[in-house]
Amino acid sequence: MAKALVAENLTKIYGKIEAVKDVSFEINENEVFALIGPNGAGKSTTLRILATVLTPTSGNALIYGLDIKNDADKVRQIISYLPEEAGAYKNLSGLTYLKFMAALFNNDKRKQAEYVDFASKIAGLGVRLKDKVKTYSKGMTRKLLLARTVMTRPKLAILDEPTSGLDVINSLEIRKMIKDLSRQGMAVLLSSHNMLEIEFLSDRVGIIHQGKIHDIGTPEQLKQEYSAKNLEEVFMALTQKA
Amino acid sequence: MYKFFVLVKKEIQELLTPQMLVPLVVVVLVFIFIGRVISGQTAKIAAPQPVAVMDLDNSATSQSMIQIFDKSNLMVDSYPTQDVNQVIAQAEQKGEKVVVVIPAGFENGLKAQTQQKIEVHTIFQNFSVFGSRASQSLAGALAAVNEGLSNQYLSKALPGVNPINIKQPVVSDDYTIVGERQAHVSPAAVSGFITSQTTFIPIILFLVIVFASQLIATSIASEKENKTLETLLSCPVNRKLIIASKLVGAGLVALLTAAVYLVGMRYYLAGLTGASSGAVDTASQAAIAQLGLTFNAGDYILLGLSLFFGILVALAIAIILGSFAQDTKSAQGVVSPLMVLVLVPYFLTLFLDISTLSPGLKVLVYAIPFSHPFLAAPNILLHQTQNVWYGIAYMAALFLVFVYLASKIFVSDRILTMRLSFKKKL
Repeated sequence: MAKALVAENLTKIYGKIEAVKDVSFEINENEVFALIGPNGAGKSTTLRILATVLTPTSGNALIYGLDIKNDADKVRQIISYLPEEAGAYKNLSGLTYLKFMAALFNNDKRKQAEYVDFASKIAGLGVRLKDKVKTYSKGMTRKLLLARTVMTRPKLAILDEPTSGLDVINSLEIRKMIKDLSRQGMAVLLSSHNMLEIEFLSDRVGIIHQGKIHDIGTPEQLKQEYSAKNLEEVFMALTQKA
Repeated sequence: MYKFFVLVKKEIQELLTPQMLVPLVVVVLVFIFIGRVISGQTAKIAAPQPVAVMDLDNSATSQSMIQIFDKSNLMVDSYPTQDVNQVIAQAEQKGEKVVVVIPAGFENGLKAQTQQKIEVHTIFQNFSVFGSRASQSLAGALAAVNEGLSNQYLSKALPGVNPINIKQPVVSDDYTIVGERQAHVSPAAVSGFITSQTTFIPIILFLVIVFASQLIATSIASEKENKTLETLLSCPVNRKLIIASKLVGAGLVALLTAAVYLVGMRYYLAGLTGASSGAVDTASQAAIAQLGLTFNAGDYILLGLSLFFGILVALAIAIILGSFAQDTKSAQGVVSPLMVLVLVPYFLTLFLDISTLSPGLKVLVYAIPFSHPFLAAPNILLHQTQNVWYGIAYMAALFLVFVYLASKIFVSDRILTMRLSFKKKL
């Protein structure tokens, strides 16, 4: 199976702090891969490096064969990144925001219109799309941003806590949408604190703690390996051992 | 270029908000309102000022002095009573600010050529610029009285001699030289004219620099705070375009803001200086033109270029400073060093002749990029345009250096890690 992402020994050091240490993992096409770990484990830093927002101190990664350091511009054409707790431009309407982002990905007006139509459907904000973003609830903003992230149908979507701030119904919708898009060919790298979400969405899971990946496997494999009933118990067993 | 225009449009949409426009319009309306009020007051004050006069001498000389008062922009209100306190109380009620008491024996004293004192009681009801206008008019009238009387004495003592020749045996006949040109005009008239023509330049520069740098720093800080910058940096957009769009967006909005403020300030200053705006007479204006102390189209272009590069340097520095801001609240603080860099040359060029400073200080002043736009107008008027070009070249070089540094910050992950390292968020 072709690899959507191959990360090798990614390390990121801020001053004296080693935020990410020799992180290596792979993601296949159509696969949903989740990074789980406690706060400060290095999940967001790993995602930022792979989204080409940060440069690794050492190590490298290939996304569909493109080097994230040397081919960053090309990588940005095929990925899409949703930061944790991200916002949108508050003084733009939801629709204007989508149009603005679409224009950054494609110069072709027809393509832009396609992106915006697709995002409008996914966001499910109806007429509120014409309102300014600053009038949106946290959940509405998150749905808008998620729609923006997937509207270009990226080959790899990098989602940091995709459903944070969303209620149960909205979270279910978003999870279903992510799953459907991955079945249509989009690889997904996500991080989450919600183990139920991880079990539902992920094909494979990487458990990260103190900047290191401690184990990788399917949810079933991990549960078997640690004799756990669910991923929460796996997570607890691994972090306590570390 | 398409993406650049998309980014600039977004910047302008984000910056031009009702929250920003409403206070701007309110401030301008307040300026216009104050200007009109002051203009009305100025007109009122230009009218003859009421003065209460108690003539206790009631002589021909005291009466002729009162007539001079009348002709000297004073409206004399004579009081027949002899009680000063009563007159003061009545004058105050009528809004008269000055009470003049001409003592008995005034005429006889003058005839004996002894110095006479008239009592002047000034009623202060406020300490505004216009509060002492009546007493200023009275001082002018008294000067006219003294002039007339001393001329009389001198004519009597030295018949056939012009009293002016006695009082001012030496007077100056002013010529002013600028470069290789010379004109028959006083330096005070030249200086007054130049000040009136160039007052707005530092104000424009200061306003634009302050607005633009705050806007750009806030724009970056807001992007960092809302994590829109993280999203933007992961998009297929050249990061140098992001910087360029921020420079252009903030620059355009700042220029618009400064233009609107200037319209308001013009009304305000017109109200404040309305009465004295025509201080330079036609003859002086012709002499000033003869000296070449007026801006032609080329001069305006050169001046505009100098201002433009000053603004560009400020914007480039503000981008770097704004990168240090963690949120919109701290954005205002991080640009304060830039404000100091603008204020120092502003005051130095206002009060000092830079060419007379010690070499060390001169280098320091010229090293501050914003000194050059402040010095551009006087340099152009003094036909030292090469200095203006040197200043423009220096600012252009500095702009390139700062933009290079800003792009280094943006293309690396420092733009995010500066904040990350402060917060220790991983």
